[in-house]
Amino acid sequence: MLASHHRVGRGVGVLFAMLTLALAACGSSTPGGSTSTSSLLIGVIAPFTGPDAALGPAYFAACLPAARAINNAGGVMGHKVSCQEFDTRGEPADAVPAAQQMVASHSNLMAVVGCTSDEAASVAPILNQAHIPMFCMTGQSEFNKTTFTYFHRLVPPDEFDAFAMVGSALDHFNYKKVALVFGNDIGSQAFVGPAMAALQGLGATVTINQAIALGQPSYRTEVTAMLATHPDVIFTEALGPTDATYMAEVKQLNNGVMLPFMGTSATIDPVWFSAVTGAIGVQTVVDKFTAVDLGVSFSGPGYTEFKTNLDAVASQFPTAPKYSQRGATLHLYDGIIQAALAMDETKSTDPTVYNTVIKDVGNGVAGATTVNTYAAGVAAIKNGQKVRWVGAGGLTNYNQYNNSQQGYILVRYDATGNEIKFGALTQAQTAAIIAAGGG
Amino acid sequence: MSLIVAAFGFGLVSMSIIAISAVGFTMQFGITNMINLAYGQVMIASAYAAYAVNNAGVSIWLSLPVGAIFGAVFSFLLNRLVYAPFQRKGTNLIGMVIISLAVSLVIANVMLPIVGYYSVSYHQNPGTTYHLGSIALTGEQILIIVLAVVVMLVIYALLRFTRLGKAMRATAANPTLARNCGIPTARVVDLAWLITGALCGLAGTVAGMNSDSFSVASGSEFLIPIIAASILGGAGSPYGAMIGAVLIGEMTEISAAIISPEYKQVVAFAVLVLVMVLRPQGLLAKRGALAAAG
Repeated sequence: MLASHHRVGRGVGVLFAMLTLALAACGSSTPGGSTSTSSLLIGVIAPFTGPDAALGPAYFAACLPAARAINNAGGVMGHKVSCQEFDTRGEPADAVPAAQQMVASHSNLMAVVGCTSDEAASVAPILNQAHIPMFCMTGQSEFNKTTFTYFHRLVPPDEFDAFAMVGSALDHFNYKKVALVFGNDIGSQAFVGPAMAALQGLGATVTINQAIALGQPSYRTEVTAMLATHPDVIFTEALGPTDATYMAEVKQLNNGVMLPFMGTSATIDPVWFSAVTGAIGVQTVVDKFTAVDLGVSFSGPGYTEFKTNLDAVASQFPTAPKYSQRGATLHLYDGIIQAALAMDETKSTDPTVYNTVIKDVGNGVAGATTVNTYAAGVAAIKNGQKVRWVGAGGLTNYNQYNNSQQGYILVRYDATGNEIKFGALTQAQTAAIIAAGGG
Repeated sequence: MSLIVAAFGFGLVSMSIIAISAVGFTMQFGITNMINLAYGQVMIASAYAAYAVNNAGVSIWLSLPVGAIFGAVFSFLLNRLVYAPFQRKGTNLIGMVIISLAVSLVIANVMLPIVGYYSVSYHQNPGTTYHLGSIALTGEQILIIVLAVVVMLVIYALLRFTRLGKAMRATAANPTLARNCGIPTARVVDLAWLITGALCGLAGTVAGMNSDSFSVASGSEFLIPIIAASILGGAGSPYGAMIGAVLIGEMTEISAAIISPEYKQVVAFAVLVLVMVLRPQGLLAKRGALAAAG
């Protein structure tokens, strides 16, 4: 027997087993660059590899145009700004060393963006302790009333995404039976509880709740079980190739007929669109898919400035222009500019000084001048004015916990992957659903 | 009950894909003493090679050999340029495992700027769906099962009835003695990397067909059941890997039907751990095809 001749019989078996189990959790962090005292750095800490690898580039695409806008206006008090990726692989175990390395290796961090639901709970305490302002894309409800003073969130918690999906299903489409198909990662599972509570509270039926393992080669058994419950619509967020595989098998096992399916705001994403249309066809997605997204108008001078800079950074990051209608990209761009303007207002690069002013720049104080470009903000500050930033994502409304939100729109894709708004939830609708869901 | 039967049917497809890949993986270890953790990433690289051809308008079935050839050449070069030099320097088994893990990460990160982080899908027609009770399989899935059976028979014939197979078994059993008996072991090892690489490339392409969508990140997900099947059957035993593939493929699908899809891998690994406790050498470790004659 070969193995015995190599004197590795039992040992190899055990080694194999350990490796197999370890593989599910193993990963790496992106090494940091050299520390610079002459420039300022924006850390983009997010998954760039792993099942949620599509998230990181959307945030990097926010940083580059913000840095360009700032640098074209002379930098922050003369300090040029640059962006660097820090890969968490979407795993808390990888995120902690990545965050620690980022903080330890870069004394010139002016802000950090990214920190999705995959890693925010691990990363936010580290950044808060290091006094680094952060703009996080986490939807976890634990940050609704966070005590981290350096934490900022320009998007609603995930449970509000779930409430918006319920509102869309019940009020716009009159669906009554809903299948929940979400990835078993932390970020995706955050939607499930609120959606179930709201659906049941409003008299709808959850036909099945599937937490599916991401990245599996097939979900046919899961799809068969789901189809047997005869839902009107599938609620989903399972990133990477997972939704593509799952939905392709829905279509295949349902005799070529696709069920209506509805995604969270994270599914309004060129990577997701490409994957799912590749698997089930563009027309099927156009006809059967709807989603909820953050209430962004994609217009106005702030958006135009963002779009100009986003298109201009395509030479550095070719796919950047594809994120022109990604809510997260717009909001993180706004967060970075807010941090830069807060530094200008306080004339300080010390985060303990400018962090508290970020909220003032976002919400505006009495008599503040509204600005839509960084250059205009710097000019106003030089004239002794306070500024209010109204940027790519529109108005910011930070509450006492530095959480800001603007409501939801109901969207679908066109054949080229652009987002098309077809409705919005009124305040009354939203309030009723939130109450039913216990939010 | 009908769901369990349906899951059994889907398990046939899963086990077919795992079988092709696990046999290649375990033969690689059996003949070259190399636990190649870059195997999953080579699978994905091969799947992308086939995708390039398929995307140019060629049928996926005609693209399949491209994936296999790419896998063969890639694996051969990987051994010649990376693994073999380290082995010649006497790097131990653990060291080689770490090197292969590093290679896996390098391949993934080199691929990202080339193919992007977007998931891709083959242009394919799954064909008519055939029903047998609760089991429903497409024509394409049935062909994948047939392909796996053919590959298993070819591997069996290769190892059992050909001079190369005997040379592989001799090299696996005792490379020094085989060399002294006139067997060109270096060439045998080269051929082993080509053959197992072809299986790797074939499995990657078939896995991409079956999953309808794949990305660079899929490599590590593909690798886990492959290693599990290899251990379950007995490290280095191709027949064991086949049995391991059957068990892992069916257990993951049926557990998804009975318990929860969230735990489909957990159940498979629980059985794996149980086997490791009761029979650490694996199910067929004493009766592998690569065992020395007599």
